[in-house]
Amino acid sequence: MSGNVVEWLAPASLAEALQLRAERGNEATVVAGGTFVAILINQGFLAPAALLSLHNVPELAFITANNELWIGAMTTHREVERSAIVQQGWPALARTFALVASPRVRNQATVGGVLADADYASDPPAMLCALGARAVARSRSGEREIPVEELITGYYQTSLHPDELLIAVRVPGGIERAVYRKFRSRSTEDRPCVAVAAARAQGRLRVVVGAVAERPQYFPEICALAEGVSLDRDLAAEIAQRYAAAINPISDVRGSAEYRRRVIAVEVRRALEELAL
Amino acid sequence: MIDPRVTGAIRYAQDVALPHMLYARILRSPYPHARVLRVDASAVPRSIVVLTPADVNNLGRYGCQIRDQTVLALDRVRFIGDPVAAVAAPTLREADEALNLIAVDYVELPAVFDPITAAADGAPLVHEQHCISDNDAAYFGMRPVAGTNICHHFRIRHGDIAAGFAEAAIVVEETYRTAGAQHVAMEPHATVARWVEDRLEIWTGTQTPFNLRMDLAKIFGIPEEKIRIICPPMGGAFGAKTFVRLEAIAACLARKAGRPVKVVLNRNEEWLTINRHPAILRIAIGARADGTLVAKRVECWADTGAYADCGPGVAQKMGYAAVGPYRIPHVWVDSHCVYTNLPPNGAFRGYGAMQAVWASERTMDLLADRLGMDPLELRLKNVLVDGDRFCTGEVMHDVHFAQCLQTVADKIGWAEGRRGKGLCVLLKGMQTPSRAALAITAADDGTSGDRTYIVHCATAEMGQGARRTIQLMAAELLGVDPCRIRFPDPDTDLVPYDTRTTSSRSTYMMGRALAAAVRDLKANGRRGYGECVNYGGLDPDTGQGVASTHWHQGAAAAEVHVDEETGKLTVVRLHAATYAGRVVNRPGAELQNEGSMIMGLGTALFESIVFADGQVTNANLSDYNVPAADDLPELTHSLIEREGAEPHGLGETALPPVPAAIGNALASLGVHVTELPMTPEVILAAIDRREAHAAATTPAGR
Repeated sequence: MSGNVVEWLAPASLAEALQLRAERGNEATVVAGGTFVAILINQGFLAPAALLSLHNVPELAFITANNELWIGAMTTHREVERSAIVQQGWPALARTFALVASPRVRNQATVGGVLADADYASDPPAMLCALGARAVARSRSGEREIPVEELITGYYQTSLHPDELLIAVRVPGGIERAVYRKFRSRSTEDRPCVAVAAARAQGRLRVVVGAVAERPQYFPEICALAEGVSLDRDLAAEIAQRYAAAINPISDVRGSAEYRRRVIAVEVRRALEELAL
Repeated sequence: MIDPRVTGAIRYAQDVALPHMLYARILRSPYPHARVLRVDASAVPRSIVVLTPADVNNLGRYGCQIRDQTVLALDRVRFIGDPVAAVAAPTLREADEALNLIAVDYVELPAVFDPITAAADGAPLVHEQHCISDNDAAYFGMRPVAGTNICHHFRIRHGDIAAGFAEAAIVVEETYRTAGAQHVAMEPHATVARWVEDRLEIWTGTQTPFNLRMDLAKIFGIPEEKIRIICPPMGGAFGAKTFVRLEAIAACLARKAGRPVKVVLNRNEEWLTINRHPAILRIAIGARADGTLVAKRVECWADTGAYADCGPGVAQKMGYAAVGPYRIPHVWVDSHCVYTNLPPNGAFRGYGAMQAVWASERTMDLLADRLGMDPLELRLKNVLVDGDRFCTGEVMHDVHFAQCLQTVADKIGWAEGRRGKGLCVLLKGMQTPSRAALAITAADDGTSGDRTYIVHCATAEMGQGARRTIQLMAAELLGVDPCRIRFPDPDTDLVPYDTRTTSSRSTYMMGRALAAAVRDLKANGRRGYGECVNYGGLDPDTGQGVASTHWHQGAAAAEVHVDEETGKLTVVRLHAATYAGRVVNRPGAELQNEGSMIMGLGTALFESIVFADGQVTNANLSDYNVPAADDLPELTHSLIEREGAEPHGLGETALPPVPAAIGNALASLGVHVTELPMTPEVILAAIDRREAHAAATTPAGR
C-alpha cells in the first residue's frame, strides 16, 4: 500500500456529494467500493490529489423494481447477486454479478463503480448493455440517462461530465430470456478472456461481447438478422461468425487477439444456442 | 491453545517494531541493462537517510554460489528493478516522496532476455567475471564458462552415450519450455535491522539464517559472531526467503541512520526480487523394442536472471532430476545456468524438479506411444528399485517409485481406461551434504512442577508446520504432552548451526538431530545436544558421487476434459502419492501434499510471469493469477508409509509431478503440449496441429 496521504472527502448526503463534485471536478477521484481505484493507486497509475468517497451517501444503496429494475450506484455486487428481486426478475443479471472475482471482492465492489471505471475486462457492463440498461447521471444542474453502450467510450473512459455522479442504473423489464457466458482462460476468479451477454426482449436480440476490446462490443445490424425469424443453429453460427469478423480484439495476459477472435465465434454461437433453448 | 495464526497473535517480521525505527524504500532501475553515470540525492531533505552507490562501494560482494551481487548496483544495473538507491524516513510517505527526488543518469546497454540467446557466443555479457563463492553451506563445484553468460555448467557422464543410442531401436527427442513463476507468499519480504554498537541485529523472514549471517559477515567485513539473525515465523516462503534479500540494504541504512530500519516490500516488488527459473530442456531417450531404456541425453538451460543466487544449484538438480528415477546405463547431461537481464531467479518449491519432470515425463509418454506400450508399463519396467544405481553412480535404498506409480494408477482408474488420463513419477534430491543440530533444555515449572522442554534449533517456520512437527516428535521421544515442548523463534545467538530450512530436509535431518539430543538429555539430565550430518556431493565434471542421501519420491495422475473448440482444459481429478516413510504430523503431511498439488496446478494451467523487453508486465495479483478454491479439481493424495521407516520430508514432492501428469492426460487425447503453462490458447494450437497431422495422413477420398 502506498504511504501517500491524499485528501479524503466523505460527504454524508447526495446533495453534499454533488456539491463537492461540482467544486472539485476531476481533481477529486470518485471512489465507491475502491476495488479498482486502490489497484490503480498501488500500481502508481493514479496519484489523485483528493478522493471523493460515496461510502457515506445512504441514498445511493438500494434495489427496487416494478416493471423495471433500479439499482443504486453504491449497491455492492454481492447485494445484486443475492437480491430476491434481481434473482426473480433479472436472473441472468444476478448470475453475472455472482461470477465477478471472489466474494471478498463482490462484498466491496459496487454497481456504479464497475460502470464508471469503464474497465474493459469487467463482467457487468456487457450484461447491462445487452439488457438495454441506462446509467442515471446527476449533477447539481440536473439529471440525464445514458445507455450503457454510450456511457463507456473507451479504455477507462466514460461520457460522464466532470460535475456528474453516476447515481443509479435502470434496467428495463420484459426481458424474455438472457444469457451470460464468461470464458476464462486462467483462474475461475480471473476476469473474462471473452464474455458474451445475449438477451431477447420484445422480439429483439441484443448480443454484446465484453472484455475483448476497449468497450462492450454491440452490433445492432448483426443482431437484426434474428428479427422475425427463429434463432436456429445456422443463424447462431452466422451471427457468431459476423461478430468475430466485426470485432478487432486486443491481446493481453488472458489471450492473443487471434485466439480471442476464435473464441468469440464459439462463445457467441453457444450463447445464442442457450438463448434459443 | 488456539493457533496464534488464527487469533492474530502471531508476530511476523513485518510486525516487528523498534523504538525510533525508520521505514525504507528502494529506488529501482527502469532499464534492463545500463551503465549508471550518476546518482544524485542532493534534493532529498537532510532529515531522510539516503543510501547511494558511494555508500556501499567499499563493502564486500555477496552471492551464495557466485559472488556477483553488491548491496546496490554500483556502476551498472542489470535488470528492471535492480536497486540503485534506498532511503529511510520516519514515515513511508516521506520515504516514497524522497525516492522521487533522487536523480539517476543511465546509459543503456544491449540486453538479453532468453537463456539460449544469452548462452550463445557474442551475447552481451551480464557479468564479465564469475567469482565463485566460498559460502560453504551453498557452495559446490562451480563450473562457470569464462567469457559467456553461463555461470555454471553441470555435467553427468555415465556410461557411453554413443554406444547407448546405437543400441536403441527407438529414439524420441523433444524440446520443452517452462515459464517463470512468482512464489506469492502472502507475507511479502520483510526485514528490520539495527546496530547495537558494532553488532548487527536483524529480524527477518528467512529460511537460511546461518547462510545469511555468513554473507553479511563478508559484506561488512566483520566476524559472523558480530551478527545476530532472529527469525520470526513467515507467512509463506516457498524458497523465496533464502540467502540475502533485503537484509544488506536495511543494515546499511540502519548503520548510516544510527537507528533501526524496516523494509517491507510492496507486492509488485516481489516479482523484482526472486522468481522461479524459466527453463528450456531438450531430452533424447532411446529404448530397445521391448521398452528397456538404454540411453538418455538431457540438455537444460535455466534462466537465472541478472544474479546467480542459487541458480547453479537449481541447474544441477534440474539436470539429474531430468534423468528420472530410471535404470539407464548410458546418460549424458549438460545443464547450464545462464544469466539474462531479467529479475533474479532462485529457489522455488520443487527446486528445478518441476521443469525436469515436465520434460522428462512428457518424453516418457512419447516413447510409450512410439513403442505402442502402456505408459505405466513402460515406467514400471524401467523404474529404479532397491539396490539399483542411479545415473550418479549412487546405489539407491528405501526405493518406492513403483509403489507410488501403482498407487496413483489405481486411484485414477488406469485399468478401466486411459483416455483423458495421464501419470508420471519423480525423484527429487535433498540437500547433500548438509548438517543439522539441535539443543534441548529441560526447565521445571515452578507452580505445577511439570517439566517444560525448550528446543533450540534453526528450523524456520514458514507455514509448513515444521515447529509443530518437531514439537510432536520431541513429545513422543520424551513421553510428554506436546504442550510441554517450547520452540522459540530461531536466533543465531542461541541455536546451533543448521544448513538451512530448504529441500524438505528438516523433518528428516532435524528429526534425527532431535533424537540424538533427546538421547543425550536422558543420559545427562537437563541438557541435550544432537546433530545429524549427511555427507556426499557430486563430482562437478562427471556428475558422479552422492547427489542425495535421502530421496524424495512421488507420482501423480490426472484425468482431464478438453473443450476442443476453445482449448479450455478442465482437470477433473488429480491424485498424488508421496513416499512418507513414517508420518509424524498427519494433518501437516496432508496439507503439504495438498498445498504442493495446488501450487503445481497453478504452474500447469496459468502461472506465468510475462515480460516486455525485460519489464514484468503482470506484477500484481489481478494480472498474475494463482489458483483459487474454485479452481480445484477432485484433489486427493496418498501418503506411502512403511513399517519401521524414518520420517520423511514432504514439503515439495507433490508439486513437480502435477504439470506432467496433466500434460500426459492431454497427450492421451492426441494433444501434445510442450510448454508450460498449458493455457487454452496453447492447447488449441496443439489441437490444430493434431488435426492438421490427421488431415495430412488420411488417405484422399476417405
